[in-house]
Amino acid sequence: MKIGLEIHVQLPTRSKMFCSCPTTDAPAPNTHVCPTCLGMPGSRPVLNRKVLEYGIMLAKMLGCKVADTTWFSRKTYFYPDMSKSVQITQYDNPIGEGGVYYLNGKKPIRITRIHVEEDPGKTKRVGDLSSLIDYNRSGIPLAEIVTEPDIATPAEAREFLGQLIEDIRHVIDLPGDGERSIRCDCNISVGKERCEVKNVTGLKNVERALTFEMIRQTKILKAGGKIDRETRRFDEERGVTISVRKKEFEADYGYIDEPDLGIYHLKEMADAIKIKESPQKMALRMAHEYGIDQKAAKQLVSTSVGLAETFESVAKEMGVQNAVKWVSGPVSAGWKAMEARGGSPDEVVPIIRRFASGEITDTECALEIKCAMTGESAEAAAAASGDLEKIVSEYLDQNPGIVADYAKNDKAANKAIGYVMRQSGGRFSSAEVVEAVRKAIESRMRGLV
Amino acid sequence: MTMKSILSKLKETNAKYSMFHAMTGDDDPGDSKFLFSAKDNLTSCDMETCSGSRILIGYRPAFDATSIARMRSAGGKLIGKCNMDEFGFGTFSSNSGLEIPRNPYDLERACGGSSGGSACAAAVFEDHVSLGVSTGGSICCPASFCGVYGIAPTYGRVSRYGLIDYGNSLDKIGVISAKAGDLRKYIHVISGKDEKDPTSCAQPELKDEGRKLKSVAIPKEGVEGLSKDVEKAFEESVEALKGMGVDVERVEMPSLKYAMPAYYVLATSEASTNLARYVGMRYGQQKGDLSLKFDDYFSSFRSEYFGSEAKRRILLGTYTRMAGFRDRYYAKALKVRQVVIKDYKRVLADHDAVLAPTMPFTAPRFDDISRMSALDAYKADYLTIPANIAGTPHMSVPCGYDGNGMPIGMQFVADHWNEEVLFDIAERWEKGFEMRRPEVVG
Repeated sequence: MKIGLEIHVQLPTRSKMFCSCPTTDAPAPNTHVCPTCLGMPGSRPVLNRKVLEYGIMLAKMLGCKVADTTWFSRKTYFYPDMSKSVQITQYDNPIGEGGVYYLNGKKPIRITRIHVEEDPGKTKRVGDLSSLIDYNRSGIPLAEIVTEPDIATPAEAREFLGQLIEDIRHVIDLPGDGERSIRCDCNISVGKERCEVKNVTGLKNVERALTFEMIRQTKILKAGGKIDRETRRFDEERGVTISVRKKEFEADYGYIDEPDLGIYHLKEMADAIKIKESPQKMALRMAHEYGIDQKAAKQLVSTSVGLAETFESVAKEMGVQNAVKWVSGPVSAGWKAMEARGGSPDEVVPIIRRFASGEITDTECALEIKCAMTGESAEAAAAASGDLEKIVSEYLDQNPGIVADYAKNDKAANKAIGYVMRQSGGRFSSAEVVEAVRKAIESRMRGLV
Repeated sequence: MTMKSILSKLKETNAKYSMFHAMTGDDDPGDSKFLFSAKDNLTSCDMETCSGSRILIGYRPAFDATSIARMRSAGGKLIGKCNMDEFGFGTFSSNSGLEIPRNPYDLERACGGSSGGSACAAAVFEDHVSLGVSTGGSICCPASFCGVYGIAPTYGRVSRYGLIDYGNSLDKIGVISAKAGDLRKYIHVISGKDEKDPTSCAQPELKDEGRKLKSVAIPKEGVEGLSKDVEKAFEESVEALKGMGVDVERVEMPSLKYAMPAYYVLATSEASTNLARYVGMRYGQQKGDLSLKFDDYFSSFRSEYFGSEAKRRILLGTYTRMAGFRDRYYAKALKVRQVVIKDYKRVLADHDAVLAPTMPFTAPRFDDISRMSALDAYKADYLTIPANIAGTPHMSVPCGYDGNGMPIGMQFVADHWNEEVLFDIAERWEKGFEMRRPEVVG
């Protein structure tokens, strides 16, 4: 079985590819439009050069050879949401060719090419008989990444896409909902001829669509049938692919050069563009450099590249042990909360430094990091944890049987945990409550209270 | 005639010549410094713009073409949108889906094309300048047939923003007028960089430093297949040029004969993609059977409202860029274009311009045109096409009249960005040439 993907990524430019309409969410259909993206007679495209920059960044990230000169082509096909019936895309001399992406840092998936093109508008069905067209999306820049059929299974396709998207997001600063703005055409052949499932959105759907196709094609071949080369679409609700049309070959679109745009010399621009290290590469390098588990390195990077960078700076200054103990521990646990309140990792590094130099104890360090992540003051946190201890201890005073039961079966603590959780109204995380209850019971067992 | 009297008789004049599809209803020129008209493939906010096609009836553009906007800000009042071959597809303006302009020298004859209405207006109205557009000769041909001056500047000299495309790599906006001096004056007005058309942004400044045209080369290939009257008028004009001190040399330009097939491949390839957008949605004709599937709906409009020449060029252009033929036709034509440019560069290294008659014959009668095959009509453009495919500036100048009193023109082709020598020779020629104006109503 062979699987190849064509991945469409919306590039995060502020204005559209060939006009100055904004790319942000529009207040209503057909409001972010102008004569150019509506294809009005007499209008003309003007290239947003930022598109070339993003294209070069992705080409570099994928190890492609960046073309010295590139130009645009017209792909002609008739569809209501394609305002000019012509899509401005690239045919000869795309931005990048001949790259390779290493899945899990090991398996090579060859990249055929990467080119940039404009997105068409959107068609929305209304009832059975009519459709409405919204051209707000018309002219949004896309990069199309085409792989060779090097992917072996639907699950591998999902894994590849997940890693690729994470890398793309980081390298071109794609907003967090990046997966939504990524669409995929999936080519799969079990036998000789392939089918293309168009426009699949989301990692899970890519795997579902490919799995369905794999089974469908296998069944046909087993029954002695023949697979027709065709274009299919994926019905997300029913989880099936449906034939749309017999597949044309790319050359059937009658490409000609786009005469309204010139030839672009990319060499200077490409030389000047330095790209960020991709998350997958960073994880591999970190595992190797700090001798940590690959999974742990990936965990750090996929939580946030900023977290991984914090790990690196702590490891370099205070040793890997401190980085693992604190950054992979409480800093990682509180990272999302810190991001949510707009905090910075700069606040936690000095705390770890004080621990490393022996200025504060283990417990103090843990408490201070927790405060730094949530933004609470240390006193409030101490008071809060004091509160927690008080609730636990009062409950245990009233229910001394729990301590005795706990000695036989530690599930006895659950009753106390449940009570404290309800009582504190979610002020403390379950981990904190479990820890506090366990500590209190065990200390009573040792007769310390 | 004052501006006011032209405006007050506009409808009446148009009824006789059909130069305009749409025109102003306003008979007060106000503060306007001059009146102008524009080919109907240039968008105008205040007048319907149809590009000679029924499929665009009702299209009121939301924006002015840059060339029209610049004429307006120079004090011009747009009085009409000129009839033309549908989307520029023709040599006589008789392939119009709308009205067909009539030659001011003989109403039974064509104005030439495809900027026929523009040349007609320039010949009929006094002190009038008209914007034309040339893809393969659509300014020089009608200027020649209507006995006026017409210039198509270097490709990229005038912004094409607001031009309804025929062949984007070939289209050039230029000026037609009965007065030679208008060419210099109005090319200065409409030319220059415009960020809305990237192909206009590579141009060097339009020079005007008094450079004179001192020498011309006449290619052997440019004086073949001419009618007797054209040949005679041309040779007399060559003698007159010599008398003005212009050096004349006869040369060979073997590439010229390849220009025409290459032109029709490139022009129709581009045209077939440009015309893909006309599907009965968004603008122009839009009343169709909504119960049809979208591709049937699109086809119903294209079948109903495109004329037969538009359909022919869509078919030709789709064929030449099809899988399996693209390299044989489209890619090859791109190479031929480079060969033609090289040939011009070679000759223009030693001469200021290449000279030949503009058209091999004078304006034909409409009944003769109706008997011509499509190929006969295509062939009539063999003298104007080479300069157009090369993107070099070229100009038709009236140089005589045939036995029926129909005007004859000759065409100067200069090197890229050297419009200046064309302005010079037009103005000097005008001083010695006895121009016969057509008899006009009113």
